[in-house]
Amino acid sequence: MQAAAQNLIFSNIETIPGMTITQSLGVVSGSTVRAKNVFKDIGAAFKNIAGGEIKAYTELLQESRNEALFRMLQDASARGANAVVNVRFATSSVAGGAAELLAYGTAVVAQ
Amino acid sequence: MAGEEEPFVGLIIAAIVAACTIGPWLLSIFATMVYQPRKKKVLLERESASAVTGDSLTNLSKPFGGREIREFKVMMASVVMSPSWVQMWIGGFMSIFGGQINVYTKVIDWARREAKQRLREKVAEAGFDSVINLRIETTVMSRTSGGKDRTSGVEILVYGTAIKY
Repeated sequence: MQAAAQNLIFSNIETIPGMTITQSLGVVSGSTVRAKNVFKDIGAAFKNIAGGEIKAYTELLQESRNEALFRMLQDASARGANAVVNVRFATSSVAGGAAELLAYGTAVVAQ
Repeated sequence: MAGEEEPFVGLIIAAIVAACTIGPWLLSIFATMVYQPRKKKVLLERESASAVTGDSLTNLSKPFGGREIREFKVMMASVVMSPSWVQMWIGGFMSIFGGQINVYTKVIDWARREAKQRLREKVAEAGFDSVINLRIETTVMSRTSGGKDRTSGVEILVYGTAIKY
């Protein structure tokens, strides 16, 4: 199952280049809500004085986004899809310093 | 003896208080005037280095000129940028009058350029020719402090399908 999810093809355009889509299996999505830990928060508060990039947050969000993407792919492979098209990412900041990361797309069978 | 020490202790306390109150502001002013422009200059150099071969990013849904795609991969780059205290203070003050708030415009524009440049570099490093269907997402991140939600940064995510002809 894990390996199957990793082998899925996905793109954020409407087609899979070089393949034809034969069947649509509906919208699949994966999400995760992450909070930064207190130590990173303190570090960020200091970095806030100077402004500029906050690396701890950049990395954290990247990790979480990959997790959300992987969950979406798992959802797709559970439906028997071999590809996901039109993948979109959305992020919203939930109150209290937590962020929700969502990845969604249309699961398809492509040949 | 005690009389001699007292003004000395008072001075130390005054120095600590000053360091805790004015210190961060001085640091913030210094960072806004020196550190941020330096970072932006480096970014401009990177941008002009990769602009030599033409911009690889497009938000068209198909490759330009109907060329065939041999290989593709979804790629993304992101950055969390935060305005400095001074910029936030100026921004807060300027929002009384409304209109364009230049300090915020500059920070967000910088963040977006940085994210796009990172994607360009990532794509070039992986050997792809160009990016189609580029999307840009912006999120405001908040941090809770003293029961209030304060802006601690803006996250810019840039993603698209990297392609090889």
